[in-house]
Amino acid sequence: MLELLGTIGGNALGLPGILGLALGMMTRRLWLGAAMGALIGVIETLLFAGWQIAHVEALELMIAVVVGICAGSLGCLIRRIGATA
Amino acid sequence: MAASPENRGWIRRLWSWIWTPAVAFSSGFLIIAGFLAGILFWGGFHWTLELTNTEEFCTSCHTMETNLGEYRETIHYNNHSGVRAICSDCHVPHEWNHKIKAKIMAVKDVYHELAGTISTPEKYEAHRLSMASAVWKKMKASNSRECRNCHNFDYMDFTLQETRAASEHQRAIDNNMTCIDCHQGIAHSLPSDYLETYQKVTEALDSKTPGAAHQQVAENGEQIRSFLTTRTDQ
Ligand code: HEC
Ligand code: HEC
Ligand code: HEC
Ligand code: HEC
Repeated sequence: MLELLGTIGGNALGLPGILGLALGMMTRRLWLGAAMGALIGVIETLLFAGWQIAHVEALELMIAVVVGICAGSLGCLIRRIGATA
Repeated sequence: MAASPENRGWIRRLWSWIWTPAVAFSSGFLIIAGFLAGILFWGGFHWTLELTNTEEFCTSCHTMETNLGEYRETIHYNNHSGVRAICSDCHVPHEWNHKIKAKIMAVKDVYHELAGTISTPEKYEAHRLSMASAVWKKMKASNSRECRNCHNFDYMDFTLQETRAASEHQRAIDNNMTCIDCHQGIAHSLPSDYLETYQKVTEALDSKTPGAAHQQVAENGEQIRSFLTTRTDQ
């Protein structure tokens, strides 16, 4: 449980959360925002696993991707509400 | 958004203020202001986080003083090269995401401090093995990441090491072993039955990640420890 919360927090304050949000803010297309967030999640997990697929933990990957998707979608919503163009 | 302003609560007014395009400020002004605010905020955040990495912070809880005392007797506190490893060097990762994770998980420390889980020496000793297991589990799973922030097999000159250390380290490389497999109790006292527990911890981890299984525990833990202790006491 703690492990899970910690991983989520680490991701939300890390690349998936922050870069995901920023990328999401660049598009009005929800699916694109979410997809970019997810991609950042994958990249970050790989990065911290030293680019070795064998070192990737399924749960960590999943959490990073989910956090990325949430951040990307949120960024996209911010774009939709907060920009006139 | 056309409702008359008087009818709206302050939350809704704030909400629409946030999302209405700014009239008085240029985009450049807003970007620069946001950038500066971001730097200040992040700097402050990071600084606060670093404060929670100091020895003073860790030992501000008296329950952590048992470990402080034990650790002060060891080589990581005082040594001939004058490099010190403090609590956070061994217990808090450097990598951002692992660090945030560790800090969030440490919230349970606060809970247990309030609940008094380890408030007396007797309770501490009763609980030590389970706490140590938690640390071992983390270190084993991360290939002793925190040790490797300072030490590395690649940087070791085996010809300068004691023969036994060099050959054990060669064995460690060959068998894919990690620092904590042999160096338990490097900074704190160990309960007498620690090796069995350590074995259980690693077996549980191994069964989760098949293929990593090996006989990965030092055969002569006692000897390593007594050797290292006598050396530190010099
Ligand atoms: C709020 C008081 C408090 C502070 C501050 C504190 N601790 Fe603890 N710590 C505790 C308590 C209480 C426990 C026992 C928790 C348990 O049973 O899981 C504990 C357990 C631990 C454990 C073993 C259990 C585990 O899950 O890893 C380690 C290692 C540890 N602390 C290291 C540190 C370090 C390093 C710091 C400084 C960054 C620190 N503590 C700061 C109160 C504190
Ligand atoms: C902050 C850097 C740092 C970290 C982190 C660190 N060490 Fe050390 N370690 C040192 C230094 C410095 C020495 C002493 C070197 C000297 O002067 O001989 C040392 C010495 C040692 C020794 C030799 C003991 C002796 O009596 O000769 C062992 C074994 C050791 N460390 C294991 C570990 C393990 C295991 C970990 C992880 C839990 C770890 N170290 C983490 C810096 C570190
Ligand atoms: C297979 C068991 C094993 C593993 C794994 C292992 N060590 Fe050691 N280490 C030893 C033994 C045994 C000694 C020497 C004690 C002796 O000679 O009795 C030693 C000694 C040392 C020393 C002191 C060397 C000297 O000559 O002053 C350091 C530093 C050290 N280890 C660091 C590490 C680090 C860091 C890791 C992980 C990267 C590690 N060890 C992994 C068994 C191991
Ligand atoms: C050289 C690395 C190192 C340093 C420095 C260090 N620890 Fe530890 N700590 C460990 C290891 C390794 C364990 C796992 C148990 C063991 O092998 O002794 C551990 C275990 C613990 C535990 C679990 C209970 C126990 O006694 O095993 C607590 C609590 C703890 N450390 C707190 C601290 C505090 C507080 C400091 C600073 C005063 C500190 N540690 C400094 C390596 C270190």
